[in-house]
Amino acid sequence: MIGTEQPIIELKKVSKRYARDILALDEVDLKISKGEFVFLTGPSGAGKSTLLKLLYLAERPTAGSINIEGLDLSGLSRSQIPQLRRKVGVIFQDFKLLYNRSVFENVALSLEVLGFKREQLTKRVKQVIEGVGLGDKLYRKVIQLSGGEQQRVAIARAVVNRPPIILADEPTGNLDRKRTREVVALMDELNARGATIVFATHDETLFRNTHRRVILLEKGKIKED
Amino acid sequence: MPFGIILKRAFRDIRQNLVTHLMTTLVVVLTCLIFVFFNLFSINLQRIADHFGKELAIIVYLKKDVSQEKVPVLYQKIVSIKGIKEVKFVSSEDAFKRLERYFSNEREILAGVDPTFLPPAFEIQIDKALYNPNRVKEIAKEISKWNEVDKVQYGKEWVDRLENFSKMVRTALIFCAALLLVTAAFVVSNTIKLTVYARQDEIEIMRLVGATNGFIMGPYLVASLLQGLLGSGAAVALAFLAYSYLIRAFGNSSFWESLHLQFLPAENIISIVVVSGLFCMLGTAMALRRFLKL
Ligand SMILES: Nc1ncnc2c1ncn2[C@@H]1O[C@H](COP(=O)(O)OP(=O)(O)OP(=O)(O)O)[C@@H](O)[C@H]1O
Ligand SMILES: [Mg+2]
Repeated sequence: MIGTEQPIIELKKVSKRYARDILALDEVDLKISKGEFVFLTGPSGAGKSTLLKLLYLAERPTAGSINIEGLDLSGLSRSQIPQLRRKVGVIFQDFKLLYNRSVFENVALSLEVLGFKREQLTKRVKQVIEGVGLGDKLYRKVIQLSGGEQQRVAIARAVVNRPPIILADEPTGNLDRKRTREVVALMDELNARGATIVFATHDETLFRNTHRRVILLEKGKIKED
Repeated sequence: MPFGIILKRAFRDIRQNLVTHLMTTLVVVLTCLIFVFFNLFSINLQRIADHFGKELAIIVYLKKDVSQEKVPVLYQKIVSIKGIKEVKFVSSEDAFKRLERYFSNEREILAGVDPTFLPPAFEIQIDKALYNPNRVKEIAKEISKWNEVDKVQYGKEWVDRLENFSKMVRTALIFCAALLLVTAAFVVSNTIKLTVYARQDEIEIMRLVGATNGFIMGPYLVASLLQGLLGSGAAVALAFLAYSYLIRAFGNSSFWESLHLQFLPAENIISIVVVSGLFCMLGTAMALRRFLKL
């Protein structure tokens, strides 16, 4: 279901070199249309996380250009970066949660930076946390949760502000079959509501029987699309 | 800017790092206290110098051979000088009588002394409203040039010395102020650095979910503003307590009363508090800027 309109994410000859001998991405060309659900797969170390990091500006490309919603990321001023990040909900591979804060506080952060009013914020945060099945652990500290539960907190935080783009880096890495299916269903639902989703995973079962677009990354290059 | 959330975060941060924040505030208190004492000292020294200067008279000793007829002429000349309130002529005999009164119990000391051995003199009272140490100096200098005048005294050295000392204290005050401001900003900025180091993860996460620099810095700026305001406020309060205590303990002696001491005027207090608050914020902003670069 590739749209004909202007792609929401576009990479042109993007390379990322971490060190002289670490070339994580090698001249990657990629277009993702608005409303697409894309799986990004490949063996460990292929550059999946790196590609996502370039999209939310945690890293800058060594060469090439990246466009998101028509914005050239290399020309983005420092004050525009927060604006971009608010459009991109990220589920980090290493969660990046505040372990000494409660589930509620972690998820609320995404809305606090947007200046949400307390009442509306509370309502929406609770709703999303219930959506990922942690309604009974709202005020538990994240450190007291299991790995799978923490992963779901990370998911809730990424989607609570309803961003048009969701980048998910191994969001099911710590989940059992049932939870994995739930997360994929949640992503499906968000996608159905219009969000563009890039889902990085090396779990083939997630996309083997779907009609979804799968991008295979190997040693920093796109092997299959 | 969601100011409510920033305030909330600021207070949570203060609560969670209460000891660090209290220590920083204490440093601000001590810094400001030194400054307040210096300022208090300087202000009162100036007041004492002014006060005594105003009370001082210029005494013009005439040469002994000046004839009686000259006296009214000189008197008119002196009265016509601007800034003079009162002129009194003290003849040799008057001066001797004063001396006699002074030694009333040991009259024999003056026995056989020529009652005209003291020079005749004018005592000039300066108009307090127009008082200014330099003017006094000028008047004295002017008069001392006259032919009939032997010598002019006005407690010159005393006033000059007090003036100079007061000037020195004021210069020291300015130095001290600059030094203390820098110190305070440095200490506060270092505390903030420690706090920020401890929260690098949180700051990184906030940035990743789209927080602006203002949102991230806000709570720290609020906290340091509070430190600056509370610290300097406490310093002024402490200094006032100490001052009141001293006045109560010694203030009813006539010597102390004659000094006409006063506490810092309101505008000084306000400036100290405001500048302290701003500098603490400035220190914090500088410390944070480094952290928030991409
Ligand atoms: N910050 C970094 N500094 C140096 N090298 C890095 C850095 N991050 C990643 N790399 C290297 O870049 C390559 C791609 O890493 P990346 O994390 O993108 O892989 P990945 O496809 O996400 O792997 P995984 O499936 O294990 O998460 C790897 O060889 C990795 O060692
Ligand atoms: Mg990865």
